[in-house]
Amino acid sequence: MLINTVILFLRDALPILVLIAYLYAHLPKSQSWLLISLVASAILSLIYINQIHTIGQWFGGIGIELSLWFSQLLVYLLALVLACGLTFPKWSNRYFVYWVTGIMVSLTIVSKGSNFILYFNGYLNQSNVLQSMLLGTFLGLGICLSLAILLYLAAQWLKQRCGLWATWLLVLIYATGQLVNAIPLLVQIDLINASTTAWNSQHFLSNEFEFGHLFNVLFGYQATPSIAQVVVYVCALTLPLAIFYWLNLASTTHSGNNQ
Amino acid sequence: MHKWLGYIPLSLGTLCVLGCFPVLAAVTEYHVQLKDHLFFPSRITIPANQKVKLIIENQDNTPEEFDSFSLNREKVIFANQKATIFIGPLQPGEYNFFGEYNPNTARGAVIVERQKLKMPNAH
Repeated sequence: MLINTVILFLRDALPILVLIAYLYAHLPKSQSWLLISLVASAILSLIYINQIHTIGQWFGGIGIELSLWFSQLLVYLLALVLACGLTFPKWSNRYFVYWVTGIMVSLTIVSKGSNFILYFNGYLNQSNVLQSMLLGTFLGLGICLSLAILLYLAAQWLKQRCGLWATWLLVLIYATGQLVNAIPLLVQIDLINASTTAWNSQHFLSNEFEFGHLFNVLFGYQATPSIAQVVVYVCALTLPLAIFYWLNLASTTHSGNNQ
Repeated sequence: MHKWLGYIPLSLGTLCVLGCFPVLAAVTEYHVQLKDHLFFPSRITIPANQKVKLIIENQDNTPEEFDSFSLNREKVIFANQKATIFIGPLQPGEYNFFGEYNPNTARGAVIVERQKLKMPNAH
């Protein structure tokens, strides 16, 4: 049970902490947005778990997959809204940005954190597991926090060297990876046909290994991605980059002409 | 200026859901039971290049998460409930799966074979 708990933390807590680390580095220093988002997430997660059987029955039994996929899509779209805040002054209101990041964190915690509640709720009442689960929690949380702190420091360094666009790029890569990771949810409920595998790098770096898992969280690495995942990944990453690069170029030229 | 900017996230979101929607067709069903944190049968043989429906019944009083890296599947199965997962079309080979909450005991594999199969556990 100890190892299971550690693995569960690496799989589900690491994505939450990585996102928080990136956003914490990206935003102006303030802890209130994080505290409010954590409280809101805890309440939303409890509501989600309480209603999970009802949600599961939606649309003929595919409600959970749809809700999880939709939350990842929203996180990705909110990452794009963050870039609008960097491009246009009227979108860069501090409170608006806090709201956007707060919702991103809350959605991620609800979608990933609900797994913890299910796990602990299901197994804590078994005898002789409390000690190993608690130990696993401390170990798992310790590993995830250490990685998150390292990533936060790396993001801070990038922000000082290259500016806010660098930390936004980290957020975009993370959100794109999570979005692509959610595509199999639609395939497993037979909503889309996207099972054709693009390549198989299991023997090179499997997702079962620690680095495979870490890369999966950081940029959505998949050892056996489908063609649809590759196409969505490339489009979801390159299109916003091209669009915002062009918009920045256009606004720079526009302000130059006005002067 | 840039009034159309708000459409960017929407358009990209639409792009993400683009895909070929499945054509309605009969899909073979395979049943798997989960009891005492063990899958029965633990090896399921399915035909290659064909989509199949896996119905997993959790007979334990604890939840379990069906997980497979090679199949790219992940699904929570609540205590004493059933869950459905579509897999395939797959190339011949062995695709391992496990229960995320009990990975030491709850283990199994989907064996994909090319030949036409007689499927005793298919319904």
